[in-house]
Formats: sequence, C-alpha cells, structure tokens
Amino acid sequence: MQTPPRTMSRRTLGYGAVFLLLAVITGIELALNSLNLADAVVDPLFLVLSLGKATLVAAFFMHLRQDNRFYTVIFVLPVLLLVVFALLTIVI
Amino acid sequence: MTYPATHHEDHFRAGHALGLDHLKVGMWLFLGSEVMFFGGLLAAFLHYKVNNPTPEAGLLDVGLVGVNTFVLLTSSFTVVSGLAGIQRGDPAAMNLYLLATIGLGVAFLGGQVYEFVSLFRHGITLSSSVFGSSFFTLTGFHGLHVLVGILWAASTFLRGMRGSYTRENHIGVELFGLYWHFVDIVWIVLFTIIYLI
Amino acid sequence: MERMRSLAARLRRPAPSWLRYFRWNTDHKVIGVQYIVTTFFFFLVGGSLAMLVRSELLQPGVDLLNGTEYNRVMTNHGSVMLFLWIIPVLAGFGNYIVPLMIGARDMAFPRLNALGYWLIPPAGLLMLASFFVGAAEAGWTAYVPLSIRAPDGQTLWAVSVILLGTSSIMSAVNFLTTIVTMRAEGLTIWRLPLFVWGIVATSVLSLTATPVLTAGLILVALDRVAGTQFFLVAGGGDPVLWQNLFWFYSHPAVYIMVLPAMGIISEVFPVFSRKPIFGYRMIALSSMAIAVLGLTVWAHHMFTSGMDPRLRVPYMVSSMVIAVPTGVKIFSWLATIWNGKLRFNTPMLFAMGFISQFLIGGLTGIFLAAIPIDLHVHDTYFVVAHLHFVLFGGSVSAVYAGLYYWYPKITGRMYDERLGHTHFWMNFVGTNLAYLPMFLVGLLGMPRRVADYDPSFTTLNQLASIGGFLLGASVLPFLWNAIISWLRGPVADANPWRALTLEWQTSSPPPENNFERLPVVTHGPYDYGEAAPRSPEPVPSPAAGE
Repeated sequence: MQTPPRTMSRRTLGYGAVFLLLAVITGIELALNSLNLADAVVDPLFLVLSLGKATLVAAFFMHLRQDNRFYTVIFVLPVLLLVVFALLTIVI
Repeated sequence: MTYPATHHEDHFRAGHALGLDHLKVGMWLFLGSEVMFFGGLLAAFLHYKVNNPTPEAGLLDVGLVGVNTFVLLTSSFTVVSGLAGIQRGDPAAMNLYLLATIGLGVAFLGGQVYEFVSLFRHGITLSSSVFGSSFFTLTGFHGLHVLVGILWAASTFLRGMRGSYTRENHIGVELFGLYWHFVDIVWIVLFTIIYLI
Repeated sequence: MERMRSLAARLRRPAPSWLRYFRWNTDHKVIGVQYIVTTFFFFLVGGSLAMLVRSELLQPGVDLLNGTEYNRVMTNHGSVMLFLWIIPVLAGFGNYIVPLMIGARDMAFPRLNALGYWLIPPAGLLMLASFFVGAAEAGWTAYVPLSIRAPDGQTLWAVSVILLGTSSIMSAVNFLTTIVTMRAEGLTIWRLPLFVWGIVATSVLSLTATPVLTAGLILVALDRVAGTQFFLVAGGGDPVLWQNLFWFYSHPAVYIMVLPAMGIISEVFPVFSRKPIFGYRMIALSSMAIAVLGLTVWAHHMFTSGMDPRLRVPYMVSSMVIAVPTGVKIFSWLATIWNGKLRFNTPMLFAMGFISQFLIGGLTGIFLAAIPIDLHVHDTYFVVAHLHFVLFGGSVSAVYAGLYYWYPKITGRMYDERLGHTHFWMNFVGTNLAYLPMFLVGLLGMPRRVADYDPSFTTLNQLASIGGFLLGASVLPFLWNAIISWLRGPVADANPWRALTLEWQTSSPPPENNFERLPVVTHGPYDYGEAAPRSPEPVPSPAAGE
C-alpha cells in the first residue's frame, strides 16, 4: 500500500527538520575537512556523519520508519553485505 | 496491469495482508541490487584508494562538490515535498516540486561536468591512471543514474500535468521518489569516500 | 491451418496458436516454455563444444584444434553451459511452476518477466557471434590480464554476460515479489513447496551477487575499450581485484545453479515414494543457510592467488561449514524414500541419480576447500571432475527430473517411459565414465584448460572422451521422446502422479488464467499417506472438454 500521509506528530520529524539536519551535518563535514586534522581522527567522524545522513534520508524521506519493516530488511541486508565485501576486497 | 481473472480478485492478497505493496517490494528489491552494483564499483575505488594512494586526489575540489552535495540533498527534499503535496490532494504543489527537482538535478549534473572538466585540465582522465579510472567510473555511473532520474522525474511531471495522480492513487510518484532518494544516498556515500576521507 | 485444427480436435480443447512462443507474451507459462526450449538449444550448443573438447583430448598432442582455437572452444563450452543453460533453465522452471505452486494467476510483474526472457536470445547470439571476431578465450573465469588482451570476441562475451546477468536480476525481483505478495489464501510460508523455497534462496543470491559481476565486467570492458587501468599492472592495476569481483558472484552462482535443482528433487521424492518429505523445515532452512553462507566464501577460489595467507583459513572453515546444510538435505531425502512405496518412473530415476552424483561432487568440494589439498589440485582436472559431478551429475540430472516430472503438466501429454529409462541409463553411465577418470588424471597432475597432455594420461582421457560421447548420444532418446510425445503422446490428465502441490490441481496444461477459481490451501504440500486425503478446496473443475 502507498505510504499514508504523514501527520505532524511530535514523535517524528518533519521533512523540513530532516532537511535542515542534513544541511547542518554537511556543513559540519565541510568544516571538519577544511581544518586539516589527522586522518585517523576525522575519518571515523566522516563515516559516522555520512551514515547519519544516509539513515535520515532512508528513514524519513523514503519512509522506512513508517512503513512495513520488511522494506528496511530488503535494503539493509545488501548494505551490510556490501560493507563486508568492500572491506575484504581491500585486504585480499 | 490486468490479469485474466474470472472474478473480482485481489491478486496480491498475501501482500496486502502483510501490509506490503507489490510495486514497493519490487522497487526496494531493485534498489537492493543497485546497492550491490555500486558496491562493486565502490570496492574497486576503495581497493585502489587504500592500496595505491596517489597525490591526484589532492586536486579534487571539495568545496565545489560540497555545494553540489547540498544541491542533491535539496532535491531529495523537493521530491518528498512533492509526494506530500499529492498526498494532500494538491497536484499543483507536486508538479511544482517535481519541476524544482528536475532543475536541481540538472544543476547537480552541471556541477559534476564542471568538476570533470577541471580534472581533465589537470590531465586526469579515465585512462590517465588508476585513480582517474576508478574516480570517473564511480562518479560517472552515479551521474548516469541521476540522468535516468531526471528523465523519470520529467515523465512523472508530465503525467502529473495530465492529472494522472490523485490523493488516492499516486504510487508512481512514490516509486520515483524511492529511486531519487536512493541516488542521493549513493552520493552521500560517494562524497564521503571520495572527497572527505 | 488444417493441421492445427486436427491437433485441436485430438486435444479436445481449443489450441492457442503455437506462434505465441515466438512472440512477446506476458503469460508466465509461455515465458517458462520459451526459457526451457531456448536454454535447451544452448545446452546442445555447449554440449557440441564439449564434444569438440573431448575429441581433441582423445590423443595427446594438439591435433584437431590449435591451442587458441581450443581455448575458445573450452571457454565458450563453460560460458554457454553456465550462463545460457543451467542458470536460465532453472529460472524457466521457476517461471512456469512457481505461480501455479502458490495458487496465483501469474507473476507479479508479467511484462518484466517477458523482458527478462527476451534478453536471452540476443545475449546468446552475441556470445556465439564472438566466434566471428575472435571468440573469448580466457576461460569462463576471464582472468585478467588475458581477458583484457584477448581479441574483440571477449568484449562481446562481456556484454553478453552483462545482459544475462540483468535478466537474472529481473527474475529475482519478480520471484521474490511474487512469492511474498501473491500466495493463495492459506498458503503460509511453512506450507510453501520446497521448490519455491529453492527459488527464494536462489533469488536472494541472484539479486545480491550478480550486480557485483556486472560491475566487474564493466571494468573489464572499460579496460578493453576505454583505456582504463583497473587490471593492468603497468598502469597500477591489480589483477586480483578482478578475481574478487568475479568470484563474489561466481561462488554464489554455483548455488544459483543448484538450489532450484535441489528444490526439484524435493518435489519428486515425496511423490514417487508416496511419503511426506522428511524434515520439511530443515530442508527449507538449509536452502536459506546455503544461500547466506554461500555469499561469504568466494575467496576459496583464490587460495593460490597470493592472497594474504592469514585470510585463507577462515575461508576454508566457512566453506566446509556449507557441507552441513547440504548434508541435512541429503539425509532428509534418504529418510524420505526409506520404506516408501517407490515408483521408478523416469523423474525418480534421475532424482536418485542426482543423490549419488551430487554426493561425489559435493564431497570432493570439501576436499578442495582444504587449503593443503587445493594448493596441489587447483587448476587440475580434479577440479574439472568436481564441477562436472555437481553441475552435470547434480543439476542437469535434476533438470531432467523436472522435465520429465512436469512434462505432462506443461504439454498435456505423457512421455514414453522406456525412452526415459534408456535416456537415464545412458546419462548415468556416461556421466560416471566421463568424469570419474578426471579425478584420477587431475591427481596425477594433468592441468585443466589444456589441449595437450603427458602421454601417460592418455588412457584416462580416452575413457573420459568415450563417456563424453555417450553423454552426447544420450540426448537423442530424450529429444525424440520430448518431441514425439508432445505431438502424438497419450493425453495426460490433470494429475497423473497423484501429487498434492497446487500445479497438479488444475488441468494439463493449465488454462490461461491457471485456475478456474483460486485455490484455498488447508494443509501442507507433502501430506501423502494421510488417513483421509484432502485436496485443496474448491474441488477442481474438470479440464475443459472432458
């Protein structure tokens, strides 16, 4: 079934708020990048921040949070598999 | 899609009982396969980035591409706002947001072209080095996906103008949105891996 | 026109035009037949290439073909058999049977289904056309840098495989969506027939692994035509990257080639033993376990690649673990037929042949997973023997079992049992004669993919070639049977095997919309020998014209 229209309840974020968050996180990333800190320090931060952005888009813009959990499973499992594959491909 | 049914039947009875729409199931499965496709290209890029790091990466323009990232994020916002519009029964709003999305998508591609050309000027091309090969292949395929998205947006917009979508029936808009957001998520990952880390 | 009318009269029902099999048609039953017939054609092509290989190997020395020609024949034998036969034929079975088994009227996306089929003939033509411009010659594994340097046919090969992979991904999306959303009322997942479980597991693999091969093939194509440096060492490329991208797909691919086949075996055994399947849930879960584990073990094909030695042991262990769910299946099948009321119709013969042949192939797979053994037998005929036992002795036997089992359902005719038995015995003897000597000659040191060999290997090679020729001949009784029975065989009724799965509760062949009324399921698919046999309601209407 189509995703039902979102009601602006307090439990969930509005699209505008999500967008703002995404913009702010991107701003932080760009700022961090220009600071020329050590890779070992910023790299994990970048990964976490981008994971956060991706999660926000998937959960709110793609409605994974509202919809049937099955869609989330379909999407998350390949992502996990990809991470395993990419990491192993670097080292093998 | 009509099925040769002899009675009024819900062909997707099992799906509906589970709260699943077959078109969305299909779209998410497709997106799952796309995760793995970009995964293959990403694995190749990462393999060389980690094992054969080169100074060419220093020529990447993080600032410009950072702006481009904002553009794409904004386009995701316009897409979902368009969906919200038709959910309210406001096709005019939906169409306006779709138009904005197309504009932002084109702007994104423009930014990518600018970035590519400036790299060409520094002698970095598909065939110049492993970095060039893996960079242009990964971002090139992403750009192709954006292009397909723009065409899909245009098609959705044209349908919207013809009044094909209503408050009750707009699954096509939602499906397009899923694709577009996915392409945005891929960019989020690419931006981090290629430009930031 | 007259011939069609008399045919229709004999069938006692209106005959839809046979021309529909040559056109775009979204009916899953038509698409299923299109898949099966088209892929069987490619089976014959791949088999002919094998006859060429075995003819060359009758004697040491490069006699019939020169080295390059041999490489091309060998490469396309493997590629055609894997990409144009075994993977798509199983998809074809899935297309025909799955909607019927779940009580649906078609697949979830009928047009996508047709598109998936229609990618195959052009892809096949592309791969065969490569012979005109210098066919692919780097083995089906297309290792770099040979595949980058090879002539133009290698590019055609890459494009062909990309098209076939795309078809496979489309089928996977369709199967999974269909099985999740279109099951008949009462058909819970623990009442799904095991063939459907096999298709689910296979589709998960197709969906997640194939795109990685697509990406890798694109990189190969770019290296070949666009001057990229992905795999050329001089430019900074890494040949092992190709092996990772390739095997990440191609190991799960072997499970794509066997899981639906095992599903067919799970259908045949209960019917021809008149007994419920033993360990239904364990078999279903084992298919999923094999799929998940299968995604993690690809590097066991790379033990000799120079990969980090510390990583080899984990891959060895995880590869061996796959033997556990596989063993669960084998023991469950044996327990199913134990003390059963056995009927040795042709499907049952092939199913039993599957067990012994797949066992040999599977056990030798475990030997190969052991690193010390693999270091010695990698790239020898030991591997060739292993893969042919699992793929030919295993999967192809299961395909034959399925072809005979569902023949009456698809064609509305019964095949000839004596010809079926003849086919089986020629196939069984031929398989063992062709491939058992290969284990020995591999251990003795004969490398794979060679046109010439040490003269001490001659006798074993000749035995293998005779076996191969016997296999080639064995196709003849099958083809004769299949064609003549379709034209003139006795009319089959809805359920000649008295099976309980849903495809047998409708006419043979099924009507265009599969069922007069969609069935409602009230019990599992293998409840044979129940005191009060129940059939799914409503009572099936008689086939039209009876």
